[in-house]
This record gives sequence, structure tokens and C-alpha cells, in this order.
Amino acid sequence: MAIGRIVPLTVALSMLLAVHSAAQRPADAQGRAPGSARAAAVDDYTGYWVSEVTEKWRFRMLVPDKNDYIQVPLNPEGRRVAALWDPAKDEASGEACRSYGAAALLQVPGRLHITWQDDNTLRLDTDSGTQTRLFRFAPPQGQGVSSESKAGGSPPSTEKPSWQGYSVAEWGGDEPRDRRDGQGGPVQDKEGRLVVDRAQQKQADYLRVVTTRMRPGYLQKNGVPYSANAVVEEYFDVFSDPYTKNTWLVVTTMVSDPQYLVEPLIMHAHFKKLPDASGWDPTPCRANEPR
Amino acid sequence: MGSDAMQSKRTALILLLLLVASRPARAQVDLTGEWSPRVYNTHMDIGDYTGIPINEAGRLRAESWHPDQLDLPENLCRPHPIDIGLRVSVSQLRITTEVDSETRQPVGLRLHVAWQEPEQVIYLDGRPHPSLNAPHKWSGFSTGHWERNTLVYTTTHLKEAYLTRTGVPKSERATVTTRVHRYGNLLTIIFIINDPTYLTAPYIRESSWIFDPTQIIPPFPCEITPDGTIIGAGKVPSFMPGKNDILADFATEYGIPLESALGGEETLYPEYIKKMKTMKVAPRTSTEHYRRAQ
Repeated sequence: MAIGRIVPLTVALSMLLAVHSAAQRPADAQGRAPGSARAAAVDDYTGYWVSEVTEKWRFRMLVPDKNDYIQVPLNPEGRRVAALWDPAKDEASGEACRSYGAAALLQVPGRLHITWQDDNTLRLDTDSGTQTRLFRFAPPQGQGVSSESKAGGSPPSTEKPSWQGYSVAEWGGDEPRDRRDGQGGPVQDKEGRLVVDRAQQKQADYLRVVTTRMRPGYLQKNGVPYSANAVVEEYFDVFSDPYTKNTWLVVTTMVSDPQYLVEPLIMHAHFKKLPDASGWDPTPCRANEPR
Repeated sequence: MGSDAMQSKRTALILLLLLVASRPARAQVDLTGEWSPRVYNTHMDIGDYTGIPINEAGRLRAESWHPDQLDLPENLCRPHPIDIGLRVSVSQLRITTEVDSETRQPVGLRLHVAWQEPEQVIYLDGRPHPSLNAPHKWSGFSTGHWERNTLVYTTTHLKEAYLTRTGVPKSERATVTTRVHRYGNLLTIIFIINDPTYLTAPYIRESSWIFDPTQIIPPFPCEITPDGTIIGAGKVPSFMPGKNDILADFATEYGIPLESALGGEETLYPEYIKKMKTMKVAPRTSTEHYRRAQ
């Protein structure tokens, strides 16, 4: 083969492999995600989305009656507090946003607008209640080490409780699978570092967000409570359905709140991607309206 | 031409082999084990089609359905199809690896659900779906693949059944695409039900389970009551069109416009809240409407 043919072929092959490799996993030589959270994003969550309410319809598209909490694992204290719900009082005391807090905001029918506020902060705006959530990723040096250090850390001690609380985020699902040597120990190199080869390395494929530091709020519009100590854990996935080719965002939410719940409450919401902002309809917080 | 063409083909083959060889190993997540349901039921009432993109044909059939049909001898031990079994029944779930009986090689995953013990095998070995004329079953026929850490499978050949336990129908033409995500000890399953006969759009629902290695799924023996014990032989309870006198009970009980309670694609979106405010709502009364405990 002539050298003139080999060189272009080698270059083309190298470029192809480089592009292919980058598409597989944008990584540096150590296999760590490079740069910012935005650069390492596993999926594109940005854009406009609209709720599609196929479950808990009467709890979401209407304001349910007081004490209608059949699908919430409330403890006796939670039931006692739910029975005190008074939307007029909430409006009068400036607490109308209680049902738009982080634990329940995505249950409220409406539209989302998701953007990158900066390279390590994903921003989610809602038209219902005109709320903003910020999902904070760890700065680049923290990536690829451990689950805790990958996320955006703990809330600063000066962080005051708010309706949307303080959310730390990470790309999840890329924890390496366990690998053992013949004696049952973890496979290590000479320096004692874990050896994770490609077969053990999974690809990240979802967004995980953990939210704390929230003001007390409502899990449903009718005053079903969560406390200031509640922890909200959320998992975001996007996919295209094979029938309509629409792009969907599905959020699984787990609310842990021993003050009012006997066990964590798991909720789901899904959203259809929209081509633009049409239909965006900002509303104020309203204590006695579905959205 | 011959030498150059051969060279090009060889080069293309090398490139192809390199690309295939450089694909990452399949990143399967271990889904096997015992999973305890965290399923919150809706659609327990006759006339509650809320959130379902049902069409006119589906609504007509649903309105003719009578809850006493569940007590017909042939229905007493009738299982749910696997997709509804996972969503609405006592859905303790066990997932195991399906192994070929001769080669002992894994060919997929097997799902076992508590209520009526339906089993579903999801083949991951690339086999095709059977002919359109092949028998339809409660568990259908499922093939799947991995999208990164998400198991995605499509189920065809399902028997005609229901979307809810209150008579909203699902035809034998329906297919279900299912996505299974594991987030640590939390399992979320997304069902995308496509039924060109009774739905105007895919019906998407989600359910979750918690990993529970100590879970024991009890056996579910079911005996058919002798014919005529509950419902007289030869009788099939149903409502003629327009004659369902309990259809509005759900809407009346909860103060919902009847039209809204009967579902439809439009009712799924936030804009519909404004429209509902202009619609007629019957005076609220507490009714003796049918509600299934199971």
C-alpha cells in the first residue's frame, strides 16, 4: 500500500475513533468526567416542558377536599396538621406558596423551563406559582470521586430555608460495579487504588437531585403537610417514546419526613417536551387553585 | 477497479470491526431480586376515566361495563395482563435471570408478580417477535435491550383486557413499551401503552418498588366458584348505551364535570383547568358508587 494512502487512512481512522470515543464517554485520561457539569451532562434536560397528568388526576387538576389524603402515608401528627388546612388563612398570612414548594412543585400542572444558569447550575422555572429551582453540581475538581463529593455539597450554614430549599445535583448511574480478585478482595493496583476497567464502568444516565432546607409546605394542595426537616430525593430521566417520537421527562420523587410520614412518599410526574414557550402562563402562588 | 474496490471494502470492514470492538461493554444494572411495591391506586371508581387519553370507542365500551362482571365464574380467576398487574394489583415483584434450559446461558429476565402469579419473560437475546397471528397471552411476548442502565422492552401479543379495574378497555392490538430504571434501592417502571383501538395517544404511567431481599411472595391459589353461585348462569351484567345509572356517581361525589371525569386527551394538560371552570358541575352528593377494594 502506498504511504500516501496509509497516512490519510490513519488520520481518518484516528479522527473517527476519537469522535466515537468522545461520544461514548467524554472523559480525560483517568476516565473522569472533564470540566463542568454541563460538559458532562448525560442528557439534554433543557427546554420547555408541559405536564401530562395521567395519575392522581383529581388530586392535581382539582383542589382536593380537606382530609382527602388517601394516597399519602401520613402519621397521626400529619393527619392532625392536615385537618387544620385553611387556604384563606394561608393567603392572608403570605403563605400561599406552601403547595408550590420543592417537594410538590412538579405535581402542580404547568410548564417547566429548564436552562443552564451557569456551567454547574441547572435552573428549573415553573409558570405555575412562578417558582425557580436551582440544581447545584459540585465544581469540576469534585467530580468522579465519590457519590457524596460529586454532588453539590451541603447547604451553606447561612442558607435560610426557602420554598425551593437547597438542591444538590449529580449525574447518577455511573458507579462502577464491584470487581473481586481470586481471594475475594477488591481488584487493586500496586499502590492500592481500585482498578476499574471499562467492563465495570457504567455510564451515567440520570440526574439525581437532593433537596433540603425547605420551608414547611404541602404535599397536596389541600394542606397535607411536609416539615422543614423533610428531604426530597429526585431522579430525572428523558427518553423518546417509540410511538409518537415525543421526548418525555419523567421525575420520580421520594419525600422522607418522619415528622409527618410513616414511610417515604414516592410520587411521579412526567412532562412532554415543547418546541417553544407557547402556552407559558405565569401565575402567582394561589392557595386554593390547582395551579 | 478490482484492486481499489477490494481495498475500499477491506478498509471499510476494518473500520467497522474497530468501531464494534470499541463499543463499551453492555452496562446492565442488576435488576434481579425481590421488590416491594409502593403503588398508589387510582381509578377505583366506576366512571373515573380521569387522566386517560381514551377515545369514543373506548368510552362506549367502558360505559357498558358492569362491576358484577368480575364475579362471573370465568372471570373469578382471570389474571390481569402483566402491565396492569404491575400497576394496580398487589404487585410484589420478583425479578430473576431467565436461563435457556439447554445451553444454561442467560437469555433475559423473568418477572413474577404476586396477584394471580403472572409471569413475564423479557428476552434480551435478540430473538424476533412471533407472527401477528400467534396466540395472545396475559403476559404477551416481550423483547428488550439496554439503553445505558435502563432496561427497555416492548410487549406485544397481549390479550384484550382492561386499562383499569373499572372497565376501561385495552384491545388486543395494544403494545406496551416499558422502561425499567434502578436508582440504588429504588426501582421505577414507566409504562407506555399504545392502543390504536381505544386511545388517541400513548398512555404513560409510572410505578415504583423498593428493594426488599426478605420479601416472601405467597402463593396465590384461585378456585373458580361453581357456575351460578354468584351470578346466575347465562347472565352477563352490563349497561346498554346511555343506560349506565352509576356512571355519574364519581363525578358527583368529587365535584367534577361529568365530561372531565370521562377522560380524553384534552383533559391531561394544564390548560384544561381553565376550561373546567366554565363547565357544568352537578351538585355534590355522597353516592353509593361502586368502588373495588381490590
